[in-house]
Amino acid sequence: MALLEILLFPGFLFLIILALFYEWVDRKYFAKLQNRYGPLYTGPSGLLQPIADFLKLLSKEDIIPKAADKFMFSSAPVFLLSLPLLALFLIPIADQTALVSFEGDLIFLMFIFTLIAVTVFIAGWSSVSRFSTIGGVRAGFQMLGYEIPMCLVMVGPAIAAKTLSISKIAAWQAGNTAWFVWLQPLGFAIFLLCLLAELEWVPFDIPEAETEIVAGWMTEFGGPKLALIRLGKNLELLLAASLITSLFLGGPNSLWIIPPVVFFLIKTSIAVMLLTTLRALFARFRIDQMISGAWKYLLPLAVLQMILVQFGLG
Amino acid sequence: MIDLLTSLPFIFLLSLLIALILYMIGGKVGARGEETADKVAPYACGEDLPPRKLQIDVERFLVYAVYFLIFDILAFVLATSLNTPGIFPVLYSLIVLMAVVILLPLWRRG
Repeated sequence: MALLEILLFPGFLFLIILALFYEWVDRKYFAKLQNRYGPLYTGPSGLLQPIADFLKLLSKEDIIPKAADKFMFSSAPVFLLSLPLLALFLIPIADQTALVSFEGDLIFLMFIFTLIAVTVFIAGWSSVSRFSTIGGVRAGFQMLGYEIPMCLVMVGPAIAAKTLSISKIAAWQAGNTAWFVWLQPLGFAIFLLCLLAELEWVPFDIPEAETEIVAGWMTEFGGPKLALIRLGKNLELLLAASLITSLFLGGPNSLWIIPPVVFFLIKTSIAVMLLTTLRALFARFRIDQMISGAWKYLLPLAVLQMILVQFGLG
Repeated sequence: MIDLLTSLPFIFLLSLLIALILYMIGGKVGARGEETADKVAPYACGEDLPPRKLQIDVERFLVYAVYFLIFDILAFVLATSLNTPGIFPVLYSLIVLMAVVILLPLWRRG
């Protein structure tokens, strides 16, 4: 039973399908905002396009550049897929508690976020190409900017709910019928911005700026490796959306006979569309603007939010 | 048995396994072509860029790295001082503030 849960329903299969579905939501909605059609031909209104893309990339030839560090170059995509997949198990989806839940899993989640950024740097560095190296170093620098505000803001709900477990924070919000969006709006805004930086989405897509450095740290990756990286990025989007859901939007609470997973789907869709709207609104920053902006504005605001929480406001 | 299945290392191994299986499937069904010199050369936009490791100038961002170290510790101290409310988190924050003030000349030079 537990194995079925891990492999099928709130587990791997469900997560991967949902991640591909949210890529479609993101692409379709992003296209709508730009007066385009978006994916159209594969499946009903292009619903199967992400799967088709994934399968196409998976069946391409696997090329490893001669100059690249072979072991690191091959193992980075595997980790970029498995780390977000692991992190998603800490988040309550089909129940009030997650499949893997312990006191302090919020800290573990921060650790995984940092590890993803470090893996991105390794992926760029190991492929020994100018564009990749610059992209990887930019990813590392960007992490210096957004990591601290994000950690501080994620700890805000934890302090108010007096627990470091994501499931318990979600349960606290359901129990007190008070979502942290209303209690800590400033923290929510900062969290959204930091997630955009973590996802490398438009205002902060500096590490993979395609008009400057081809595809950034992903330049040398192709075929099955790129398929794994793309799927990993979709899972990261799902992780970001579900983290917004469980930390700030009250998590998957059940109402009457409607199962919690329905609420989870509704709330994560809202979160994905919120992130996509922000992506459509902004233009790219330069790397030094991003870092100094994060330290001059985001960090003081995050500290302010922390002080407000400590004094019991929010 | 149930505890082992939902333990973190097991899930990590399983997700690693799934990533590896997907990668293996890709290798099995993937097309295989001849390896030519141009194919395994790094992407270079048509320019002649030799595949060498670049030396990146990090001096400009060094000061941020130092502050990152300090504030990282602050974040974790605040996160783990959940059950000691009131004066202790403020005290920790003041200590961090002192470190920041001491390092301010670095900021001005950087």
